[in-house]
Amino acid sequence: MARYAMVIDMQLCTGCGGCIIGCMNENNLPEGMRWSGKIAETLGRYPLTRYHYRPTLCNHCENAPCVHGCPTKSLYKAEGGITAHDINKCIGCRYCMFNCPYEGVIYYNLRQPHAEWRNNTAVIPNSTSTPAETLRRTGARGWPIQNPDPDITYASIRPRGVVEKCTFCQHRVINGELPYCVEVCPSKARIFGDLDDPQSEVSRLLGMFPAERLREELGTRPRVYYIREFCPKPQPQPQAG
Amino acid sequence: MKQLEIDGMDGKDGTTVSRRSFVKGAAAACAGLATGGPALSALTPGTAHARGALAEGKWVSSCCVGCTSWCSKQVYVINGRAVKIRGNPHSKTNGISSCPRAHLALQQVYDPDRVKTPMKRTNPKKGRNEDPGFVPISWDEALDMLADKIMELRANDETHKFMLMRGRYTALRDLLYDRLPKIIGSPNNISHSSICAEAEKMRYFQEGQWAYMQYDIPNTRYVLIWGADPVVANRGVSSYLNSWGRALDNARIVSVEPRLTGTAGKCDEWLPVKPGYDGALASAMAHVVLVEGMWYKPFVGDFFDGQNRFIPGQKVDEDIFLEKHTHGLAKWWNLYLKDVTPEWAEPLCGISAEQIRRVAMGFAAAAPNCISWVGGGPAMQPRGTYGCLAANALNGLVGGCDNVGGVLAYNSRSYQGFPSPNDFMDEMAQTNSKKEKIDQRGRLEWPNLARGRSGAGVNANNVADAIINEDPNEIKVAMGYFNNFNFSCPGTGRWDQAMSKVDFFAHLTTHASEMSFYADIVLPVNHCMFEAWGTLDNSSNGYRSVSLMQPAIERLWDTKSMETEIPWLLAEKLAQRGFDNLLRYYQAVVDPETGKAPTNEKEFELYAIKHLTQHFWDPTQSKGGDKFLGWEQFVEVGVWNSDPYLHRARWSNMGTKTGKFEFYSETLKEALEKHAERHNTTVDHVLEVCNYLARGEMAFIPHYEEPYEWGDPGVYPFKFVDYKGRLNREGRSSNCSWYLQLKDLDLGDIAYDDVAKLNPIDGERLGIKTGDKIRLTTPTGSIVCTASLWEGTQPGTVAKCFGQGHWAYGRHAAKVFGKEALGANNNDIIPVDYDRLSGSTAFYGHIRLKVEKV
Repeated sequence: MARYAMVIDMQLCTGCGGCIIGCMNENNLPEGMRWSGKIAETLGRYPLTRYHYRPTLCNHCENAPCVHGCPTKSLYKAEGGITAHDINKCIGCRYCMFNCPYEGVIYYNLRQPHAEWRNNTAVIPNSTSTPAETLRRTGARGWPIQNPDPDITYASIRPRGVVEKCTFCQHRVINGELPYCVEVCPSKARIFGDLDDPQSEVSRLLGMFPAERLREELGTRPRVYYIREFCPKPQPQPQAG
Repeated sequence: MKQLEIDGMDGKDGTTVSRRSFVKGAAAACAGLATGGPALSALTPGTAHARGALAEGKWVSSCCVGCTSWCSKQVYVINGRAVKIRGNPHSKTNGISSCPRAHLALQQVYDPDRVKTPMKRTNPKKGRNEDPGFVPISWDEALDMLADKIMELRANDETHKFMLMRGRYTALRDLLYDRLPKIIGSPNNISHSSICAEAEKMRYFQEGQWAYMQYDIPNTRYVLIWGADPVVANRGVSSYLNSWGRALDNARIVSVEPRLTGTAGKCDEWLPVKPGYDGALASAMAHVVLVEGMWYKPFVGDFFDGQNRFIPGQKVDEDIFLEKHTHGLAKWWNLYLKDVTPEWAEPLCGISAEQIRRVAMGFAAAAPNCISWVGGGPAMQPRGTYGCLAANALNGLVGGCDNVGGVLAYNSRSYQGFPSPNDFMDEMAQTNSKKEKIDQRGRLEWPNLARGRSGAGVNANNVADAIINEDPNEIKVAMGYFNNFNFSCPGTGRWDQAMSKVDFFAHLTTHASEMSFYADIVLPVNHCMFEAWGTLDNSSNGYRSVSLMQPAIERLWDTKSMETEIPWLLAEKLAQRGFDNLLRYYQAVVDPETGKAPTNEKEFELYAIKHLTQHFWDPTQSKGGDKFLGWEQFVEVGVWNSDPYLHRARWSNMGTKTGKFEFYSETLKEALEKHAERHNTTVDHVLEVCNYLARGEMAFIPHYEEPYEWGDPGVYPFKFVDYKGRLNREGRSSNCSWYLQLKDLDLGDIAYDDVAKLNPIDGERLGIKTGDKIRLTTPTGSIVCTASLWEGTQPGTVAKCFGQGHWAYGRHAAKVFGKEALGANNNDIIPVDYDRLSGSTAFYGHIRLKVEKV
């Protein structure tokens, strides 16, 4: 059995946010959710200012607190170690959101996703389109660019009243494709593969560079590894002047 | 690839096919496929749960027009619906890489507020607070109205009172932008170029390139970037995002920029120059390179005996410096460089002499594989020509010009031009199209020296004043396409006034923008990335790619193509009214394969794109680069790649007057003298009228000019820093929900907000906290936005992103559509000024403002 993991090469990352948008695109995320997110910080005082950007996503922990705490077992470890979610079992109790030690991983659908596309008013009556008319024309569900693929393992549009989260693009992975955030990254900063395969790129990189995982001290054993630095060299100290 | 055996994945012919193998198959069909094709995983599918296959769709080739990068793209289409975007793997420039803003094109084409039918205004009054009262009309009615107006001009011999404005475009532009006004009989085709980055092209006077450049990032050892943010918003963003992280292994990257840009946050060293003082910094760096004897001798040459005589403050004998591929180095030193030490520059530019010296020496030590990347920052300022020349001169000193790891021209490519319009221009057209252009280019105060010719460059933002003042004449009938000058030009109120004055205005647009509110008819156009034929090209990695746009999806609305279908239908209307010259001209654009003349607008569009790109797809017409079997294969692959770059071919063949890289620009001297001669005056008088400080020989060499500022520093203590964000599709992405949701991708910015960033020191002094509403006031305007205190802002400056502040454009872009803006438009407060030698509108360096808590 595979042990899927992601390595994020921070030096290759340019902080462009392509992964965030790609994820929203692939998984039809409702407004306000970022399964793929970021932690951005501006450090130091002018002019010795430094910017640090870290892409984030569900860590697909080997020892996942969200799975352990789920009363209905709707969160579960799927094949390859993916922390998956079954919306049919989810009762929306949100224990997982409390139990997950990381920020911005699990989201709750308080409102109907993509409800703004049901609006049928035009900014210029009879001349411009409306959200509902546009959606109807495209024949899509939820929003016009609906990608049907997540239906394979999850739901392309999750209903109101349940949580939702990153699946490592399980629907793609089982079809031999990379998670979409990996494919869409213009800087090739994300590498996905099988830790049990010593020939895989993730194994090779983890052998080559010291890696960091978020909040390792908690014993969650994340499967998302960070190598190298976003800004590789320190700003030199200019003399006063 | 190992095939997966998964339920539902059987292909139509019974064979098992996955999307991945489809992609590989398509890739293999193109010889010379770029590396970096789909880097799909080597997962072991044997372990996969088989639950269902991914939706079968097709990657259709296209090109992105979100910015001027013009990257090759592919659109993933499922049942006639666009779902995803990626870089075209066949492209040798950007390859499969796609910058983040490209994805927003999906939200543009499926924007809920697209204009779906032609419409006309019912309220004859035009003004900022007038509701046009738009009602839908048919294409017939709309084009009848426009044709009647044009025929009226022809009946009165007033065709020069017609004007066509162009914003973005595709390479089919000539059919509309050039031929239509000429054949009708108007000189007034006005492009937006001078509000883009024309002043960057003033490098022409050193190296003969009136063009944007490509930067050899994969092979460089040192990059010194001036006022450009290539990992965020410049040209070639997708391509540079791909090579940036690896370049950090091989090269030192230094960003010269008043604020901490995305690039400055992702480089080795940030030089926070004071806005407007780039020329002083660059001049001091050149001084250091010479004093230290670090210029690149195989390019520049040397003293006859190899002994460095560049000693600060001392002149050298110009005859004993033997130049190779450059011209006038010793003269530049004697006239200027000898005195501009780092210590002189330090108090001007705010960068310490020690840092100037260290960076200059580091840069020169990497010669010749180094880049001085001159962006819009130092150039798009009043007097910006000389900032551009000062920074670009460094490429000459270190031999990075046209060299490996340096600054390269675009590889050549050959579009097949459309037939000449001359035979279709009647006497009225011949006469009136030669009248003075509405933008006043070429007058004494508007040298606009594009390609060294007096009055050759455009002056887009001056058109508003020219219309208001009816100088050289009034404009009665106007068309505008893919543009929104009422939003995108500084001095927005002038455009409101000017467009209110135009008797009849037809706006060709996807969205009802600010400019549309002054239109008499609005003609809804196709989104050129998804719904129409077109082509554009870009250059990076030592290649040039020409990408084909094609109708990839089903058109949602009653829209037409702006540069082909609409002009054709208008030409038919004019022919019905007895003026058939334009239609006869368009009928001369025949199908290159069959020789058949077009009979309708759809055929016209198809034949036009086939004609324009024939040298790429027709193997018998090939001028080099990728070869195709024919049109159909070109459509499938979607991109033509040039042959690789020939480095150093331009050395001593620069296209300047001397053929050399001109530190002392004989080319600029000749251009200025000709302009002065045309107005019967001296070069010094031209410079005085155009607000430059240089006199005499100084006019022909790179140097620092004190920035011309609007506003008394006592009243307006801050300087304004305008910029573009990661998701800006210029000013057109504000109605995309991702734009607002992800505004925090820009350093220091906040999601769902439009912030002005101040240094915390200034915030504390003024009692302003992050989240406070503040008013920014310049001598010409005032806006209100949210404050964000951020350490990436230089004290004494206010940095704010362009793009928000729309009062039209759509439900997300505006707070109240047609009435109230969401956020604030920088162009409401930027004073109208120009770098007059290039005709460029100034966006940087000249803007003083005050900040008050609201």
